[in-house]
Amino acid sequence: MGQSKAWLEWHGSTLLYRAAAVLARTVDGPVIVVAAPGQELPALPSYVSVVEDPVEGLGPMQGLAVGLAAVADRAETAFVCSTDMPFLHPAFVRRVLRALPDGTDVALPVARGFRQPLAAGYRTSLAPLIKDLLSKGDLRPGMLFKHCEVVQLSDEELLADAELMRRDPTLESVVNVNSPDDYAEARDRAPVEVVVECFGALARNGSHRPHEVRAATLGAAATAVGLTLNRHVVAALNGDQVTRDEWLPLVAGDTVSFLSADAGG
Amino acid sequence: MAPGGFFGRALIVDVAGQLATSAPYELDDRVLRAYLGGVGLGTWLLHRLAPPGVDPLAPEAPLAFVFSSLVGTPLTTSAKFAVVAKSPLTGLLTDALASSQFAIAGKLTGHDAIVIRGRADVLSVLLIDGDGVRLEPAPELAGLAAAEAESAARERFGRTWRTAAIGPAGERQVSYATISHDGRHAGRGGLGATMGAKNIKAVLVRAATKVSVADQPGVLAAARDLRKRSFGPATAKYRELGTLANLLAFNAVSTLPTRNFTAATFEGAQQLAAEELHELRGVARNSCASCSIGCEHIYSRKGGGSQRMEYENVFALGPLCGVSDPDEVFAASARCDELGIDTISAGGTIAWAMECVERGLLDEPWLRFGDGAALLRALDAIGERSPGLGELLAQGSRRAAAVVGHGSIDFAPQVKGLELPGYEPRSLQTMALGLAVNARGADHNRSGAYEADLSGDLDRLAGGSAHVTAAIATEDRAAVMDSMILCKFLRGVFDDPFTEWAALLALVTGWQVDAAELRDTARRIVRAKRAFNMREGATAADDTLPARMLTTPLELGSGRHATLDADRLRSMIAGYYAARGLDEEGRVVTEIPDLLLDA
Repeated sequence: MGQSKAWLEWHGSTLLYRAAAVLARTVDGPVIVVAAPGQELPALPSYVSVVEDPVEGLGPMQGLAVGLAAVADRAETAFVCSTDMPFLHPAFVRRVLRALPDGTDVALPVARGFRQPLAAGYRTSLAPLIKDLLSKGDLRPGMLFKHCEVVQLSDEELLADAELMRRDPTLESVVNVNSPDDYAEARDRAPVEVVVECFGALARNGSHRPHEVRAATLGAAATAVGLTLNRHVVAALNGDQVTRDEWLPLVAGDTVSFLSADAGG
Repeated sequence: MAPGGFFGRALIVDVAGQLATSAPYELDDRVLRAYLGGVGLGTWLLHRLAPPGVDPLAPEAPLAFVFSSLVGTPLTTSAKFAVVAKSPLTGLLTDALASSQFAIAGKLTGHDAIVIRGRADVLSVLLIDGDGVRLEPAPELAGLAAAEAESAARERFGRTWRTAAIGPAGERQVSYATISHDGRHAGRGGLGATMGAKNIKAVLVRAATKVSVADQPGVLAAARDLRKRSFGPATAKYRELGTLANLLAFNAVSTLPTRNFTAATFEGAQQLAAEELHELRGVARNSCASCSIGCEHIYSRKGGGSQRMEYENVFALGPLCGVSDPDEVFAASARCDELGIDTISAGGTIAWAMECVERGLLDEPWLRFGDGAALLRALDAIGERSPGLGELLAQGSRRAAAVVGHGSIDFAPQVKGLELPGYEPRSLQTMALGLAVNARGADHNRSGAYEADLSGDLDRLAGGSAHVTAAIATEDRAAVMDSMILCKFLRGVFDDPFTEWAALLALVTGWQVDAAELRDTARRIVRAKRAFNMREGATAADDTLPARMLTTPLELGSGRHATLDADRLRSMIAGYYAARGLDEEGRVVTEIPDLLLDA
């Protein structure tokens, strides 16, 4: 790529910001980013923490071990993904994590013809096993899967989930960008369609009624309806968290409600 | 000499038989500076004048109308006063703010507060002006709505008088009766019942003097500046749609209490929304006295007439009772105004009764969620205190639940006896803390903690230490604004509130007051309220939420569930006690001298 994928621009923010924020808006637990030793990272959402991989050059298994260990005291399972998945959808994450019942160690999608170890669910208690394998020179995820209970999820099994089928029927979630051309193609795609509604003093000419705009981020959705997120204007995503994060990634199926931060009375 | 904006005295009025007597009550500079006026000074007066353990409806229970240094200045939204008493609904301190010319005329009788004690033999009106006080029998006003009583009293005594009156519910001492004036209400906590218990239908005041401020040119310049800022984006919501603008937004973020807090989204929200009503109905705007915001929105009703609508009355008489027809909600709001009862407590108590009927705990099969006619019938029963249901519900949901039993207290929507406002605690967890610990009970005006939840700065579904800090900050801001007194709808125009408020106070009073002193003042006022409540028997056990909020997760519109369990609330309350300098039982154990209760 010629530059760190984490820093690649993505509709005003970066690929890393998008990946971290998509996970944060999807799961209840902590979200961490594993950085290579001394790696400088772009800005991240305030609720995302960073742990540094003490060893360089051991590949994704080392990052996996560090990441799972970092959250093991707060979560039994974790969704693990790489930085460069610009179309990762929360419905995909939820579907994968639901495939991790007790007794299963890994929920491994086999999507679009490939195993996807960096878009998979892992039990956090695997961290010591992975470190042990690394110490023996087993650097490939495939070696891990030989030592634990793995559930593979085919395209059909993934898309049996109604929400995922509706929101990401071609499993674009697992598309990553491995070359400048991949990145350019992904970046040139039109942003997703999302539903917006504006309430209170922000409503103009019936804009409190739901209507669609194309926007990759919350800031872009605000711009599309003539608003700027600030101390007087906030947004609720799908009726859930209230935020002013203009870089918050939007995905197909989202509803954004803009409301006055001066609510109450 | 009193500081600018003050007279340095209250007027104590004792009513007995057919006579009223009065005496001045000195308020020295130290007390005025420590409590500012309004809610703060009212709290201090209650400490001093309410006998410990007094029955709120007893003759000796004081009812205080309290003004402030800003009243009568050209500062926008300053024509406000506080009514303070021991609440017949909660048994604790209650304070209600209201805005009207009554504030200005009352203060310009030459007093910073008017405190009424005693009981008249017959229904009477109390007149106060520069010539003193007098009590006039007024049996002809019996049963009149407050607005009609106001008109009749001014017709009888003259248009120069300003009035505060009660409706028939106040006369019958419904526990959440209001005091009304110029169509506004001192609404929460049953102050109208306190006035009714004194057999006073209306208090009439007439300006008799003037009050000077320390820096008149400075005040005029500040007033011009504040007025200009009051037209900015921070008040746009209030100007353009009024508080009813909350309804659709709150529905979108799953914090619109529905059917007695069994849900937080309402399928009929769109029909009741300000955004819709503005397109479908004629709407007029109005302002309180001395206000440049103009938040009142008055909607035309089908079949004629109009009704002022606010978020709280629409929430309480609409979604909370499952009613979605705007004209039925308009009618219910109008009926509350006529009777003189608090719409929040009325709606909350009736919604609780509707759930009791659903559960087979009350044998009133006509009282069903969603039935607007039943809502009106229940309101009438409350206003009349009709035997059975009316008498039961006139006491509020907490006492009614004690009568009905069978665990119905668990879903009575109240804290300390005061019914919850339209903010779902499970999906606004800073607000949950504010509602639990506030002195007045479940209250959205003395703790505007929802601001933090809706700011985007905190996770509103996971209350923790940051939420404690935010709840205290909003409570402190409210304590100062409610005491100095400025309308809280102005709060968003201040970039550095305590500093700017100190500057305003300095111009009016001449005090060399700064932000740090005002922060101390806020803490003092909050502590003084809590100290009063503790004196009257409140304990840490009162700082909680209804069991439903702590045991039943709330499904959000997104499909996620909001959970607020007892441990999380307790943890936040413990953090609140620590930060407020209270002991583990929530008692004020330090700095009592700072409260100046020996002054």
